[in-house]
Amino acid sequence: MIKSKFMLACLCLISISFISCESDKKEDPAPVYASGTVILDLANIAGLSPNVDETGNTFYTNSSGELFSVSKLKYYISKIQLYNAGALVYEMPESYFLVDEVNQATTILHVPNVPGGTYTSIRFTVGIDSARNVSGAQTGALDPANGMFWTWSTGYVFFKIEGKSPASTQPDSSYIYHIGGFSGSNNANREVEITFGGESLIVNGTRRAEIHVLADILKVFSAQNTISIATLNTQMVQGGNALLIADNIAKMFNYEHIHN
Amino acid sequence: MKRLKCAVGTFLLMVVLFSACSKSEEEGSKPFFYVPDGFPNPVYQFQNNPVTTAGFVLGKKLFYDPILSRDSTVSCGSCHQQFAAFAQNDHKLSHGVDNLLGNRNSPGLFNIAWFPNFMWDGGVNHLEVQPLAPITNPVEMDETMPNVLVKLKRSNSYPGMFEAAFGSDTITTQVIMRAMAQFMGSMISADSKYDRYEAGKVNLTSAELSGLQLFRAKCESCHKEPLLTDMSFRNNGLDSYFTKDPGRAIITSIPQDSGLFRVPSLRNVVLTFPYMHDGRFEKLMDVMNHYSSGIQPSSTLDPILASGGIPLTLAEKNDLITFLGTLTDYTFIRDGRFKE
Repeated sequence: MIKSKFMLACLCLISISFISCESDKKEDPAPVYASGTVILDLANIAGLSPNVDETGNTFYTNSSGELFSVSKLKYYISKIQLYNAGALVYEMPESYFLVDEVNQATTILHVPNVPGGTYTSIRFTVGIDSARNVSGAQTGALDPANGMFWTWSTGYVFFKIEGKSPASTQPDSSYIYHIGGFSGSNNANREVEITFGGESLIVNGTRRAEIHVLADILKVFSAQNTISIATLNTQMVQGGNALLIADNIAKMFNYEHIHN
Repeated sequence: MKRLKCAVGTFLLMVVLFSACSKSEEEGSKPFFYVPDGFPNPVYQFQNNPVTTAGFVLGKKLFYDPILSRDSTVSCGSCHQQFAAFAQNDHKLSHGVDNLLGNRNSPGLFNIAWFPNFMWDGGVNHLEVQPLAPITNPVEMDETMPNVLVKLKRSNSYPGMFEAAFGSDTITTQVIMRAMAQFMGSMISADSKYDRYEAGKVNLTSAELSGLQLFRAKCESCHKEPLLTDMSFRNNGLDSYFTKDPGRAIITSIPQDSGLFRVPSLRNVVLTFPYMHDGRFEKLMDVMNHYSSGIQPSSTLDPILASGGIPLTLAEKNDLITFLGTLTDYTFIRDGRFKE
C-alpha cells in the first residue's frame, strides 16, 4: 500500500515536470515566420507577345528572321531550390513538374512546405536527373504516357517545341525540337537561377508568396547559340545541337517580379 | 494434468509446424522468379516489384493481348512465341501492324532480368520501360500509351486485375510495365541439357563434349557462361558499311559504335533462327561459315575477329552445332505458366 502511494506520487511528479517543461517551451520566443507555399508562375512568352499561341495560328520571328508557329510547347521543371543570400534553405522533395502551354494550370508551380523566412533567389533544373532516367517506369509528371519519353533510347524529353516555319525544308514545313539526354557529355539538363532583383520573398504561413518568371521562346533560337530552322528543322536525338539548344533554354527564363 | 497440457501443447505446435511446412513447400515448389545455381545476381530489382500470382497473370494477359496495338492485331506474343523461346520463328524481321516490317530480328525472351539493357542496340535501359518501345514503334504496334490507358480502363476485366495485383484499380503506365516485368522477368531458362551436365546430372555425347571444348576455346570470350553472353556490343564483321543500320551508334552518337550490336545469349539458339540482328543467316552452319571465313573488314570490327575470324574445320563446325543443341531448354518452352 505504501509502495503504491509512493508510486502514485512519483507519477504525479513526473507529469508535473512534463507539464512544466511544456510551459517552459511556450515562454520561448516563437518563430517569426510560419512555413508556407511558394508559387512559381512561369509565363511563356514570345518576345513582346505576352503569351504563346500553341494553336499554331500565330507566327513569331526568331533572330534569324525566320517565321515560326508553335503547336506544342512542353518542358520539365525539377529540383526546385530556394536560396537566401546565396545559401540553400529548402529543396522541394520529388519536385517534378511538366509545364504544358496548352494547359495553363501547369504553368503555375506550387512549392509547399517552404520554411518560413526570407528568400532572395530560386533555382530549378530544366530537365530530369539521371537517376529518374534509369529507374524504370515512373508515375505522375514522369509517367511516360505524358509523351515526354523516348522509348527507343530510354530517357525523358526535357523540352519540346514543335510547329511550322516557311524556313523549314520539310515537305510539311514543320520543325520539331525534342531536347533530352542525361548522361556524360550528352547531358542536356540545365540549371537556372532566378534572383529576385535585390528584393526578398517572404514566406510566412498563408501569406501570398509568388515568383513570376517569363519564359521567352524566342531565346530557344538565340539566347547563346544561333539556331536556324532553315539549317535545323528536326532535333530528336541527344548530343550535338541538342546541347546548343539546351544552353539557349537555360537562358530563356527571366525574373519578372515577386508578390509578398 | 500438467503432462496432458504439455502433450496437447506439443501436438498443437506440431500441427502449426506441419501446416507451415506444407504451406511454404507449396509456395516454394515453383517460384516465379529465382536465381538458378551458378547465375550472378539479377540486374532487375524484384524486391521493388515482387512477383505475385495476380501480377504474373496480369502481365501474361497483357503480353498476349493485341489490345496493346493500334488496331488490335498484334500482341507481344505475335513476335515472341514460346515454342521459339519467345523469338519469332522463321522471321528475319518482325512484322507489325498493317503488315509493316521492322528492321530487326525479334530476339528470344529469357533470363532478361539479368540484362542491363535491351534491344539489339541497347537503347532501352530498364526492363520496366522495354515494352514501351514495341508498343509505340510505328512499324510494330504503333500505339500510344494514353490510348492504351483508355482501352485498359474501359475494359471489363483489366481494372479488377490491376486491383488484385497492385491494390488499386487505378491503371498507370507504371503498373502496366511492372505487371509485364513480373511476367517476362520470370521467364528463366536454366534447365537445358548443358545446365544438367554442368550440375553433374547427365553426360554429354563425345560430339557435344568436343563442341563444348571448342566453344570454350573459341566463342566464350563473347558468349560468356552461364548466360552465354557478356552483355557487350560488338561488330562481328557482318558488313563493311553501316548506313542501313548503324546499330549501337544510333543510341550513343559515337562513330566508333557504328556496326556494333548486342552479343546475344546462345541459350535456345537452335530455336531462335534466323540469326543476327537482321536475320540474315538461316542456319547455324551459315553462322559457322561467317565466323570461319566470312568476316568483313571495317574500322570498328571487333579486335577478336580482326585477324581472319575464327577458322574452323568442317568437323569443328559440326561439333559446335551439336553442342549448341544442348542449350535448348525444353522445360522452359513447355512451361505451362507462360503458355498463351
